[in-house]
Amino acid sequence: MAHQAHAYHMVDPSPWPLTGAVGALLLTSGLAIWFHFHSITLMTLGLMLLFLTMYQWWRDIIREGTFQGHHTPPVQKGLRYGMILFITSEVFFFLGFFWAFYHSSLAPTPELGGCWPPTGVTTLDPFEVPLLNTAVLLASGVTVTWAHHSLMENNRKQAIQSLTLTILLGLYFTTLQATEYYEAPFTIADGVYGSTFFVATGFHGLHVIIGSSFLAICLLRQIQYHFTSEHHFGFEAAAWYWHFVDVVWLFLYVSIYWWGS
Amino acid sequence: ASKILLRACRVTLMRRQHVLLRTPQRVMSAKGIPTDEEQAAGLERRVLQAMKKGQDPYSILKPKEYTGTRDDPHIVPSINNKRLVGCLCEEDNTAIVWFWLHEGNPQRCPSCGSHYELVHHELPH
Repeated sequence: MAHQAHAYHMVDPSPWPLTGAVGALLLTSGLAIWFHFHSITLMTLGLMLLFLTMYQWWRDIIREGTFQGHHTPPVQKGLRYGMILFITSEVFFFLGFFWAFYHSSLAPTPELGGCWPPTGVTTLDPFEVPLLNTAVLLASGVTVTWAHHSLMENNRKQAIQSLTLTILLGLYFTTLQATEYYEAPFTIADGVYGSTFFVATGFHGLHVIIGSSFLAICLLRQIQYHFTSEHHFGFEAAAWYWHFVDVVWLFLYVSIYWWGS
Repeated sequence: ASKILLRACRVTLMRRQHVLLRTPQRVMSAKGIPTDEEQAAGLERRVLQAMKKGQDPYSILKPKEYTGTRDDPHIVPSINNKRLVGCLCEEDNTAIVWFWLHEGNPQRCPSCGSHYELVHHELPH
């Protein structure tokens, strides 16, 4: 039997990159069709294909790593670099929206009344639901760290409890933010204030949902004994992502909700 | 997804009732999360087991430094009876001197004369 003499993972051929690319194509062109021709068929097809791709691709990675043992220490190191680079790219993504916000708010134009918040905009009180949201996310940062330590100390019951609590806090944030969106006295169409507010907080909310889903997958895997006390990189990646989401919120809160009010 | 979560919980709980005796043996670390020792598989397991014995059959760590003299030749591990060696005769050289190193008597780099010796080793499996 010919074994490799190196510790890296030469991946088997896989159809998921292709299905993902096709799904992305259908999603983007479907968006354009929806905007102009009022049909959601193509977009829905693209979304379904993308979700199927993600499910099967990541399922294959779990099979390769957890069940087949391909994730040796060097391979894990590469995965860590990958996650860090991805989160860095997301940081730059949000940096753009903060740039837009500060561009418009530091030098408000005459059309806005030369002031920020613009004339006629009733901002949300930063010390009401937004402050609660801040507390919720900070608490979830604590619970996810608790989960990590429980994992490393072989404590199954506490790992499951703290991870579940983290996810519940994430869902609580999403629910609170959704009601805030519904009750807000301004909309995305209300000038540059509305645009910067809803695009920045909206993308953040999407990332909270993504992060909560990632943590939920980790919870399922933890229940099914995938993680060991030394090797649980999937969980660490989810925790890093979650902390990133928390930090973005802190910047949003201080810049848009507090200073911008 | 919540259905999967509930089913996983139910199955795990059912398992726990049936296999009260088996679980402690399977997950020796008393509080329920396995260790790599218990659960690592495949190549990862082979790498970890070898590291525990102080070996590095998959060349993960930096190779040991040798002076390259006749009494302290560079030891080149190989799974075959010959291996390609690339000698950087001096630090920062950009021209690498490549040659095949065969098992048997140590050979010398054709450019700088450092000694190299092939040592056979088996991959764990």
